[in-house]
Amino acid sequence: MTGPGPAVQKIPVYCYQCVAGPDLLKVLVRDGVAVGVEPNEDVAAVHPACGKVCVRAYGLIHKLYNPARVTTPMRRTNPRKGRHEDPGWVPVSWDEALDILTSRLRSIRGRGLVDEAGYPRLAATFGSGGIAPAYLGTFAAFLAAWGPVDQGIGSGQGVKCYHSEHLYGEFWHRAFTVAADVPRSELVLSFGYNGDASGGVTGVFRHAEARARGLRWVQLEPHLSVTGAGAEEWVPIRPKTDAAVLLAMLHVVLVEHDWRDVCDVPFLERMTSAPYLVAPGGHYLRDPGTGKPLVWDLDRERPVPFDDPACRRPALDGSHLAAGVEIGADGTRRTVAERARPAFAHLVDHVRPYTPEWAGGIADVPAATIRRLAREYLHHARVGTTIEIDGATYPHRPVAIVLGKTVTNGWGGYECCWARTVLAALVGALEVPGGILGTTVRLNRPAQNRLDSVRPGADGFMEQPVNPTGKDTWAGAPHVRNAYRTLVPLADNSPWSPALGPAHLPWLFLEHPPDHWPAPTLPDVWIIYRTNPAISNWDTERIERQLERFPFVAAFAYTQDETNWYADLLLPEATDLESLQLYRIGGTKYIEQFWRHTGWALRQPVLPPGSGPADTRDLTDVATELAARVGILDEYVAALNKGSGTTVPLRGEGYDLALAPGSRPSAEAIWDRVCRAATRSLSGGAVERDLSWFRRHGAFFVPFETGRYYLHAAMAAKGLRYELPYQERILRMGEELGARLHERGITWWDVQLDEYQPLPGWKDFPAIWQATASARGRRPEEFPFWLLTSRSMQYSWGSNVSLPILADVARHVTGHFGVVLNRGAARRLAIGDGDPVEIESPTGRTRGRAILREGVRPDVVVILQQFGHWATPYARDLGMPSLNQVATMDLALTDATGSGADLVPVAVRRG
Amino acid sequence: MRWGMVIDLRRCVGCQTCTIACKQEHGLPAGTFWRYVADCEAGEYPDVRRVFLPMQCMHCAEPPCVPVCPTGASRQREDGIVWVAYDACVGCGYCAMACPYRARHLVREADSYFAAPTPPERASAHPERRGVMTKCTFCKERIDQGRARGLRPGVDPEATPICAVACIAGAIVFGDLDDPASPAASLVAQGDAAPLLPECGTAPSVYYRTR
Repeated sequence: MTGPGPAVQKIPVYCYQCVAGPDLLKVLVRDGVAVGVEPNEDVAAVHPACGKVCVRAYGLIHKLYNPARVTTPMRRTNPRKGRHEDPGWVPVSWDEALDILTSRLRSIRGRGLVDEAGYPRLAATFGSGGIAPAYLGTFAAFLAAWGPVDQGIGSGQGVKCYHSEHLYGEFWHRAFTVAADVPRSELVLSFGYNGDASGGVTGVFRHAEARARGLRWVQLEPHLSVTGAGAEEWVPIRPKTDAAVLLAMLHVVLVEHDWRDVCDVPFLERMTSAPYLVAPGGHYLRDPGTGKPLVWDLDRERPVPFDDPACRRPALDGSHLAAGVEIGADGTRRTVAERARPAFAHLVDHVRPYTPEWAGGIADVPAATIRRLAREYLHHARVGTTIEIDGATYPHRPVAIVLGKTVTNGWGGYECCWARTVLAALVGALEVPGGILGTTVRLNRPAQNRLDSVRPGADGFMEQPVNPTGKDTWAGAPHVRNAYRTLVPLADNSPWSPALGPAHLPWLFLEHPPDHWPAPTLPDVWIIYRTNPAISNWDTERIERQLERFPFVAAFAYTQDETNWYADLLLPEATDLESLQLYRIGGTKYIEQFWRHTGWALRQPVLPPGSGPADTRDLTDVATELAARVGILDEYVAALNKGSGTTVPLRGEGYDLALAPGSRPSAEAIWDRVCRAATRSLSGGAVERDLSWFRRHGAFFVPFETGRYYLHAAMAAKGLRYELPYQERILRMGEELGARLHERGITWWDVQLDEYQPLPGWKDFPAIWQATASARGRRPEEFPFWLLTSRSMQYSWGSNVSLPILADVARHVTGHFGVVLNRGAARRLAIGDGDPVEIESPTGRTRGRAILREGVRPDVVVILQQFGHWATPYARDLGMPSLNQVATMDLALTDATGSGADLVPVAVRRG
Repeated sequence: MRWGMVIDLRRCVGCQTCTIACKQEHGLPAGTFWRYVADCEAGEYPDVRRVFLPMQCMHCAEPPCVPVCPTGASRQREDGIVWVAYDACVGCGYCAMACPYRARHLVREADSYFAAPTPPERASAHPERRGVMTKCTFCKERIDQGRARGLRPGVDPEATPICAVACIAGAIVFGDLDDPASPAASLVAQGDAAPLLPECGTAPSVYYRTR
């Protein structure tokens, strides 16, 4: 970019093409042409990775000028929908396009926002979970103004994320995602966590710094991932057996050691439910008068409420004759006067059978390795030590266990997340420096401050919002098609909940309606943006069969793709560098965003108005226009004033920037007010920065204390305990949910109800997937390989598969554009490097080229990312196989949280 | 003065950010890489190591590509940077044959990534590179223009090779190997870094750190 020529203008923007952002960059514009990007060095001192941006951000220029873009609104002229039906796109003006959409929306408002089955007639799906909000402009305010909208028609949520970690992590320690406190850790055991591919620049930088200073990282995963490459040790574990190894580690700690010597006993006594007495029915033994859980006071030799200040030595083991009440499902009370044991004693008994030798046979990991890793874990935990951070003293427990995709979702996800978190609790490595930390909350409030979300709840634990399961409170009638309020108590009912429920159920139930359930219906209008469910869901053929039936689909479209092929209206997407939005940045956030600052960053058009390569409109302007045309402008303005979508109210303490009812502001006018409100709000009213300031400077920050990374201080200050190790509340939820479903005659969710265990144990998780063969009249032995996926930094979440330059550079990372096979296994199958291979599952086939490696188990094949495109320009020519083409969408593969996992038993052959 | 680079393999994650930043900086056509990160394996299952190895011109002190050039187009500057005078190059490929690092690339056509060049591709086109050998220049224009402005290569981003500026893992340290005070020279002096294929006797200016 150096050299003579016209002066280069540098325009600050953010990139949020992955959930590990946003990152800050500058776009170089020369003579009205965007010619490149560079890290925003202005924020190098503020940004945790010195202001760098990753490979995807460098693709943004190509994304902007891609000639395959949809450049003008288009309407479908072929009423028949199908893969082999040309949509017959005809260009129309924006005015005409919005007329078409508006007439559909008005029709809904005339008929009623909810259909006869009780489902919203308007549905909207946005892709990649955490990314879309950074590109939605004020569209969320439009949806808020509209009323009921079904945002639960999935595009892969649940099966492509850390689903169990999201729900249980937030339940246990405000951890929508869990990260190791890598800078202060000595040992990280990673079960498939691939943060060097998916952790963004902040994740990569933290890991690199830690490796250089000597952090020991052990990677347990079936193939040697990008992150595994940086590990000191690779343990090639059999797929979906992680829970066995984690349970065996618990066994080593609790059974093969004297737990009094190796565990953080004060932490267990004071900050967990370990001393709570468990009654014969599995619920806590409670004080009859107050209902508080009882603990056994070793000094006074009698049961006392858990919060009795005079109790200095609560028992963690033994069996104690105690009287109290047991309160079970639906409030049933039972008087108890018999021997009861603390939850911790139940835990020790629970893990007693899980020896390393037992786990070794299941996981194909030597017992000695499991034993050694558990001992290393205890050694590095340094129980009893402290660390000073910014003048405050914290416990220092420099050990962490992190979990990756397919470990943290689907069957076994609960067991893995539980065992990992209990291992942290045993040594006090939970929410303290060096241990495991939550990053953000998505169900609890306030969403922007996880420490403030720590509020006292029942039984000495944090308050946690859940979907009720009581007789009079259960939402028995699904209000959206994935029924998260009905089926998944832990999913709660926050704006994020639709994406955290069983988001694939709508696709499943549309084809196979379950018994005793409202007849599934299609939405009258489905709006999609930055999503391609026909590629990113499992069972892509099923998705396409359903897409043919959708009556009206309006797609904000970057290029033609496999989902918008079935659309009725294409609206050209204003890409990352063509629209305006202010977004929160900094603090702590997934995946490993740990800043010492927090603030706001601007994304702005980099080209002069009207000079871009496509006839796009800012999504904020589209939202405003739709609100006006539909007749809900006042409601829309009110939503904006409340901060809907922007996350900052326009009226706050010491400032009033609210928009007047009836006004029809431009995107610039809206975001100018948001800029001013955001800076006012963040600075306590001291500073106000407007849009023009952000256009020049890009971002505004205030300090964020390192102490806010750790929940420890908030928990200790409020005298709260972590709801570990015993899961009484989970047990009760399951009992009540089961009762509610059975009262309605619903038995098809019974297998899922089995997950609600107070102390989860091993089940033969791999067999659940292997059973898909038997269910289809095939023998499991016909499918001796496991097909897995792995993330690619070049492609994850980027909506960039149509960019040749990404493929050009991604080719250097092995695994792209083929099927990774173990070299020895391939030799036995007479498959050579580059040979065509066929992957067959019990439900489908996919084909690709063999890539032979040593760093993959002989019984595993790996296909990176999600490809299999047939409509997306360029990507359709890559000839890539896809796991999604051979994975079946099946209730039997859906766990209690509504999640699945990318795991398919397959046969592999040359051809 | 001898410009050099130390690349910390413990930090590199093979993300190819340096690869794409280099392509952008130099307007390289599709399929041409002046640098990239190789994805290597050593050992056999289950005792396997996966290593990411950034590859580029090593700017050797004894560059075998220079003496073999029949036209004198392949040159070495006083500061050690090896470069190609495009107007003197005939694209014979002798230098590519001589280079043990396979770091020289003949650009036959200025291939666009799309059917026709996009506006930024046109804006960053280099017609002088067509039909000649090309290679990593250590971003000599950035160094020269930066130094002319009083900036310090290896310290100030605008005077530093773009791969080092872009690297998200802090894996690339650039500096004057003849200046004992520079971090790059210090790492080499401590014996923590070694060149690739030292047996070739080319005395590379790019070192790799593995411990």
